[in-house]
Amino acid sequence: MRGQGGTAQGVLTALALALLSVIVAAPFLFILAQAIFPKIGAGSFAGPFSAMADVLGSGQLPRATLNTLIMGVGTVAVSAALAVPLAAIRALYRLPGAALWDLVFLVPFMIPPYIATLGWVMTGQPRGYLEQLTGQNIAGLLFSVPGIVIILGLHCFPVVYFALSRSFATIGGRFADVSRVFGAGPLRAFWRVTLPLALPGLAASLILVFAMAIEEYGTPAVLGTRIGFRVLVTGIDEAIGDWPVDLPGAATLALVLVGLATVAYLAQRRFVAKGGFETTGARPLSATRRPLGQATVPALLLFACVAFVSTGVPLLAVLATALAKTVSGGLAPGNLGLQNFAAVFAAGSSAREALVTSLSLGLVAALATGALGAFSAFVVVRTRARGRVAVDLLAALPNAAPGVVVALGMILLWNQPWWPVTPYNTLSILVLAYVLLLLPQPVRYTTAALAQIAPSLDAAARVAGASELAMARRILLPLIFPHLMVAMLLVFVVAARELVASLLILPVGHQTIATYIWRQFDQGSVGLGMAMALVTIGLTTLLPLAVLVAARRTEDIG
Amino acid sequence: MKKLFVATVALAAGLSANAASADITVYTAGPAKLIENLSVGFTAKTGIKVDVFQATTGKVMARLEAEAANPVADVVISASWDTATTMAEEGKLLPYTSPNAAHVPDFLKTDTAVAQGISALAIAWNPASGLPKPTDWEDLAAPAYKDMVTLPDPAKSGSMFELVAALDGALGAKIFDDLSANGAIIAGANADALNPVMQGAKAAVFGAVDYISMAAAAKGESVEVIFPASGTVIAARPAMILQSAKQPEEAKQFIDYMLSEEGQEMVAATYLMPARTDVAAKRPRIDELKLLAFDQAAAYGARAETLKAFAKSFGN
Repeated sequence: MRGQGGTAQGVLTALALALLSVIVAAPFLFILAQAIFPKIGAGSFAGPFSAMADVLGSGQLPRATLNTLIMGVGTVAVSAALAVPLAAIRALYRLPGAALWDLVFLVPFMIPPYIATLGWVMTGQPRGYLEQLTGQNIAGLLFSVPGIVIILGLHCFPVVYFALSRSFATIGGRFADVSRVFGAGPLRAFWRVTLPLALPGLAASLILVFAMAIEEYGTPAVLGTRIGFRVLVTGIDEAIGDWPVDLPGAATLALVLVGLATVAYLAQRRFVAKGGFETTGARPLSATRRPLGQATVPALLLFACVAFVSTGVPLLAVLATALAKTVSGGLAPGNLGLQNFAAVFAAGSSAREALVTSLSLGLVAALATGALGAFSAFVVVRTRARGRVAVDLLAALPNAAPGVVVALGMILLWNQPWWPVTPYNTLSILVLAYVLLLLPQPVRYTTAALAQIAPSLDAAARVAGASELAMARRILLPLIFPHLMVAMLLVFVVAARELVASLLILPVGHQTIATYIWRQFDQGSVGLGMAMALVTIGLTTLLPLAVLVAARRTEDIG
Repeated sequence: MKKLFVATVALAAGLSANAASADITVYTAGPAKLIENLSVGFTAKTGIKVDVFQATTGKVMARLEAEAANPVADVVISASWDTATTMAEEGKLLPYTSPNAAHVPDFLKTDTAVAQGISALAIAWNPASGLPKPTDWEDLAAPAYKDMVTLPDPAKSGSMFELVAALDGALGAKIFDDLSANGAIIAGANADALNPVMQGAKAAVFGAVDYISMAAAAKGESVEVIFPASGTVIAARPAMILQSAKQPEEAKQFIDYMLSEEGQEMVAATYLMPARTDVAAKRPRIDELKLLAFDQAAAYGARAETLKAFAKSFGN
């Protein structure tokens, strides 16, 4: 029986390796090749390592690397400080309007960082909306390194909030109850029992935030340029946006980024391996939430404050800009109107076309990424085949691939003349890019979920005579599905508004939501761009919400 | 679940079946509205469809370089004449002289490229700022403009680079030291520099692309375009046919259409100067502007040094 299981595991691992090799490894290899052989785009292997030497020889690299680390760690700190208390309250106590708060905290994640940053700039700069309303501006804080990490933290913290409130809820009050029976106070019980048990989930989500932050482009580009704060990603963008173009230089900087994330990832693995954290026993859990009592009002105030700063301010700024007839006119009532929305929804407008394209791309990308991610996670966590470490590494590799470099990898790989058929210059190249960019999401969510399922469930299934496949389908899949679905919704949202990669590999004759918005900014039609942004934020919030509601209803009936 | 699967497969099939059925492919710098209008007009006239990739000049060039082994574009329109010079030297361009180029002045055409339109750099000033109206570049380094000036990044804007190179020659690099000491900031690409001025956070853009600011003013934004007394630089936008074009004849027809009176009127409608002298412009033309002396070959030869010195002025 063991031998049979081993063979099946070997086949599954080989299949995962084959898929990941084509989708993930090949573009990375071509980026590596571009970094080493500067002329490979024209089919030549001349001058190996010459471009790498140029980049490493310039003094920019250490500073950009240090700044990238500052941005990553700062964002992690802000996200954790915001998310841990909120998630604990949400998961362990009966918070009034809990589901509504979940919805509200989906929104900051739904606001593309470059849009949120622009909203903050329109609000906080001198003569911005804040000054028009209160006479004060926050330009000093906004255009600073703390300003950058706060805005990124406000964007990223929902990732931690959702992962952690799930972990906390899975752990439930039960273990904490036990510790309190033994005399621990509520804080001590949380600090010594609940939080340590949730560490795998916390670590996984914080690493995800770190990876998101170090590959973020819009925020450091808009705010950092003014204060000379250059990071690796903006360096890569300059290497590509500059004429003459420096693809080998960009590829070299990207390799440094990949290196950073790989180190972070390995550190996380070691950390997770240290603690035992199986909390889903064979017996079903009844989630017991405590009443908040006197703490209800302060808790609600905390939620409201974080919601207002992370969601209210950028959304209101986007709305004000979308409604304004002219930017100069500001918040004056006579300056407001719906003309930008009318332009977005005009029959046959390119905005409408872009909406349909992006939403379809998001759906296909979510299903494809979810399937591949769950499969990879299963192979990593549940098989003992030798190739699983490679699967794990490949599935984590995209974490530090800035969109712009993934796009280059896709072009370098799929635009070769020797392919008989190629996805290049069709919308499928965007799907491939999104899968590559977002694969870590379902992998991390399902890995964390699988790691919390005790192997005793497998054993029980085997004893009951279930095959490995039946066990995966009937026991593991239902248990991980809620986590997987959240991950797929995240993929949908991010893919539907992805900017940087889309710009570079956009098939001719098509537009996505983000490229449309970006073009409006580029043309100075800020209001039209913000109107489209608002429509997008609405759609990408409401569609996943509808899915979640439908799923909950099904659960209730079942 | 099964229905969802079927729907997904159908959707995926639809996505991959979109392969370009158009006849020519154009890679172009902005404005988006211009290439949209040109494409629609061209298709109406010839029945040839146009597939468009529109991005900044830098991104268009990045895509061309990445596709070097398997080029896709037939026509390239950039916002920097230097790209035409470089690509011609590399032998990437197909020689073509459109009959409609007869009305385009000689300095705006070569064997392999012809201007679509021309922009100039200027000061974009917000009259609501309450600050004295500037008349020359140096006015923006005056104490009245302390912390109130933005500049496009010359590393991101080709025309801004040419202005920096020209001003280095005409006024010396001191102007940038003075601006920096006066609190002026580098604000990314062209639109990033203009946006704070429209809202009033800043009072003026040093080196704004004129047609973008003029279009904003026409929309009612509080922005005025001022051409400085000591002169400025222009940026002609070269249109080129690639040597690797799969549809060279249709590409030539597109260039002809772009240079037709109809096409040039579309160019003029965006507040660019049309390349043809016999088509009316909605704004001052080259002969009404004072130009700084500018040696393109020398400037681009020293590009890296110029950018480094500029960055040093601003403490980067």
